[in-house]
Amino acid sequence: METSVEMVGSVAVVAVSGSIDALTAPELAAAINQQIEEGHTNLVADLAGVEYTSSAGLRVLLGAVKETRSRGGDLRLAGIRPDVKKVLDLSGFTSILKHYPDRGSAVDSYGG
Amino acid sequence: MPSKKRIALVIGSGSVKCAAALGLMRVLEREGISVDMYVGCSGGSLYAALLALGTPVEAIAEMSAALWTRDLTARPNRRALLQALVPALVKFDARFSLRDDRLVNRRLEEVYGGHRFEEAKTPLYITATDFMTAEMVVLSQGALFPAIRASMAIPLIFPAWELDGRMLVDGYLSDPLPVGVAIREGADVILAMGFEAAYQSRLSTLARYVFQFTSVMSNNLLTANFAFHNLAHHSEVLLLVPEFEQKVGLFDTEKIPYVIEVGEKAMEKQLPYLRQLLAA
Repeated sequence: METSVEMVGSVAVVAVSGSIDALTAPELAAAINQQIEEGHTNLVADLAGVEYTSSAGLRVLLGAVKETRSRGGDLRLAGIRPDVKKVLDLSGFTSILKHYPDRGSAVDSYGG
Repeated sequence: MPSKKRIALVIGSGSVKCAAALGLMRVLEREGISVDMYVGCSGGSLYAALLALGTPVEAIAEMSAALWTRDLTARPNRRALLQALVPALVKFDARFSLRDDRLVNRRLEEVYGGHRFEEAKTPLYITATDFMTAEMVVLSQGALFPAIRASMAIPLIFPAWELDGRMLVDGYLSDPLPVGVAIREGADVILAMGFEAAYQSRLSTLARYVFQFTSVMSNNLLTANFAFHNLAHHSEVLLLVPEFEQKVGLFDTEKIPYVIEVGEKAMEKQLPYLRQLLAA
C-alpha cells in the first residue's frame, strides 16, 4: 500500500493505493493521524487506487472519522471501486460516511 | 515464528449458493490451510456439518445435490389453509407451515441421522433462532439432524422444530452470517462467506411478495450484524460474497458445479492476503 498527501485549499487529500488490511493499516493510520495532529481535520481519503480493504482497514477509517468529527471536521471518501464499495456497504460504512465519485467532488463538498 | 492463528469458516444462509463454500475449501485444501472451526446457518449448516465431519468436498457436492431438490417443497401442508381460516377450530400454533416437511426430514435423516456434534473432527457450531424470544441459539452438542433441521426451518415454508423445550426456526432470522459465534469461540482469522438474498423482479404473486419482504429484512439484518462484528473483532474478518452472474434460485441444484466454481474464484481472490496474514 502507498499513501500520498496533497492539500487542496484547506482540505487534506490522502490518496491511497493497494490494499488496506491488517498488514498495511498502521501505515494508513499514521498518515491520517499526522494530518489530524497538524490541524487538518477536513480530510478526503481518495480510494481510487484501493483494490481491497479488510476489517482491519475499515477500523482505521472508522477511527479517523471519529477523530476528525470530534475535532469539528470530517473524513469523506472518494473514488471507491465497486469491489471495495460492496465491502463498505455490507459493513454499514456507506451509511455513516459521505462518499463521492471522485476527489474533486469530495473536496468541493467541504464548500471551499 | 508467527503464532498459529485460529481460522474459522462461517457459512451464512443462502440455500444452494452455500455450496460456494465447497469451492472455498478446495482452495484451502490445495494450499494446505486447515480450518479450526466451522459455523453454519440455515443452508450453510448443511455444508458446515459435513465439512466438520471430515467428508471430502466432492462427496459433499454429490450429497447436497441429491438432498436439496425442488420436490422438497412440492407437497402442500393440507392443514395450513384450515389453520389460517379457522385457527380456533383447527389448532394454529408455532408449527404452522405451508409445506409438508416429511420429505425434507427424511432426506436430512438419510445424510445426518445418527451423527452427532461430538463426532466432528473440527469443532462445529450451528445457529437457529428461538421463535418465541428472537434469541440466536448456538447448537454444538447432541444429534446433528435436529440442529440442522431447526437451522433451516424457513418460516411459512417448513414448520418450526422443537428442541429442548424451545421452538426453533431458521438461523437467518437472528443473523444470516453469524460471525459473532466465531469471534466468541476464539477465532483469529474469520472467513465469512455470506450471501445477500435475491430480490424479486416482479411482485406478481403472494409468494413473491413474501420472499421480497423477507429478503429486504434479512439483507438489512446481514449488514447490521456484520457491521458490528467486523468492527468488534480483534483480528481479521475476510468477507467473501461470491458474485453470481447466473441467477441461482432456491432449488437450482443443477447449478452446484457453477456455484462451487464461483466460490473457488472468490477465495482465490483473497488468497494472497490470507497467505500473508497467516505468515505474519
